[in-house]
Amino acid sequence: MINAFAGVERALFWTLVFAAFAAVAAGLAARGVDRVAADYEAARSNYAIVRVVAPEGASGIAAAELALSQAQQVVSAAPMTAGRAAALLGGEVRAEDLPEIRLIEVELAPAAPYVDTAGDLVAALAQGGVTAEVIEAPNEGAGAGLAGRVRNAAFWGSIAFALIMAIIVSLAARGLAARRREMVTVMCDLGATRSQAAGRVADEAAVMGLYAGLIGGVLAGVAGLIVLLLVIPGISFDALQRMILPVDLVPIAAAPLVAAIAAGAGARAAAGYFHAQAARLG
Amino acid sequence: MARATTPEQDLLERGVLARLSGVDAGYKTATVLFGIEFEARAGEVALITGPAAAGKTTFTHLLRLALEPRSGRCVILGHDIARATARTRANLKKRIGYVAENPTFIENWTAFDNIAMPLRLAGLKPRDYIDDVRELVEFVGLTDAADLTIEKLSGAERHRAAIARALASKPALILADDPTAGMSPADGRRIVRLLAEMRRVGAGVVVASQDESLADCAPLSHWRMERGRLSLVKQTASEETEAYE
Repeated sequence: MINAFAGVERALFWTLVFAAFAAVAAGLAARGVDRVAADYEAARSNYAIVRVVAPEGASGIAAAELALSQAQQVVSAAPMTAGRAAALLGGEVRAEDLPEIRLIEVELAPAAPYVDTAGDLVAALAQGGVTAEVIEAPNEGAGAGLAGRVRNAAFWGSIAFALIMAIIVSLAARGLAARRREMVTVMCDLGATRSQAAGRVADEAAVMGLYAGLIGGVLAGVAGLIVLLLVIPGISFDALQRMILPVDLVPIAAAPLVAAIAAGAGARAAAGYFHAQAARLG
Repeated sequence: MARATTPEQDLLERGVLARLSGVDAGYKTATVLFGIEFEARAGEVALITGPAAAGKTTFTHLLRLALEPRSGRCVILGHDIARATARTRANLKKRIGYVAENPTFIENWTAFDNIAMPLRLAGLKPRDYIDDVRELVEFVGLTDAADLTIEKLSGAERHRAAIARALASKPALILADDPTAGMSPADGRRIVRLLAEMRRVGAGVVVASQDESLADCAPLSHWRMERGRLSLVKQTASEETEAYE
């Protein structure tokens, strides 16, 4: 009887495992990019910096802080200290060397898209008798910003990569059909219909794809976990559990199914062709 | 109510397993067979002899439904082949036992498994066919080699395995294309006698070979193929058939 894990079959099996691994790894990477972009987007939309122009001095900062604290969309507002400014500059300048800082950091409540946050802050400050400019604030329509584009690119990129891997799996499975050509020819000579002969080879390829997808998916999952542990040293098991969402596991769960379908379809097409060739010599 | 039978089915009921009338056949642009007139009947053996490249193999391909006639009429097992669907052809093939000149097997299966394959395809379970296949293995003299993989068998053993496989599903029509190729004359005659034995169970047997001397080893109709044209050389008379018995 045929040993599915010997010779060419073994090489084919590991090709399928590699394709599944690559597709799942791309899917997990896309999920990672999505999470980072989403966090970045959230941080961007919750934060603003205001520079107080007038009144000058500490009274201006205090008036601005008061006006901002009364503004509807502001959660908190705090003047930027010299130490904080030096830290934001990456330690290139010492805090004591900095001139008077007239900046206020503002934490914002989540806003609906297409709200002019900067304009609203300037208006609130003007009501409090403060002239100020907003030097950093959420973009209008933050969802359509860079982070959104990155998230879209990651999602569609991983889908496209998974499709390419599925095509590779399908083509590789045709190799299995070629290995089974003699069986298809024999079956054809003995009166097997095209679907009987091709179905038998397709079933074998689908089972191989299923196991390869399972192994490739699990290996990619383990690799993803290792990357997480390296990127976030000392992360606890509980924190990991909270961090990993069910949607993150979709690529791992889909891999065996997609690999089985792709391998089965590729092998069926090739075996059907071989059957047709054996059935009609003329 | 009785089902209406077609003229082709009537032919089968009268024991005509294959009737070819004015058939031309070939591959792509080359026509190999010209105006073939032939009839194979249940319980009879037909020997087709002729030189190499005369068209004997093409003739067996025609009878085993791997080739379509280009012109003329080809009725096999009660069906006009030009009008048969793929499913009908597949079903007809199950009733035709074919022994190729170079038989194809699943090389890493045992001889036993290869011989049993038509029965597995028919949906039988091993417990239903194991005794029949053992009997067949014994009949063709492969008892010692039955559990070896096909790739380990000699050329003559492979032919015997092919014959056993062709007989496994108890076909109505048995075709053998040069089944004695590469065998000693004694082995060759034994193989043809073995095939000819199947006439006793009502099968029609068609053997194609270059060896004219095989005409003496069984009662048969002897046909000669030359340059794609088939002619009847000799038909064993019924009293001669009795002498063979």
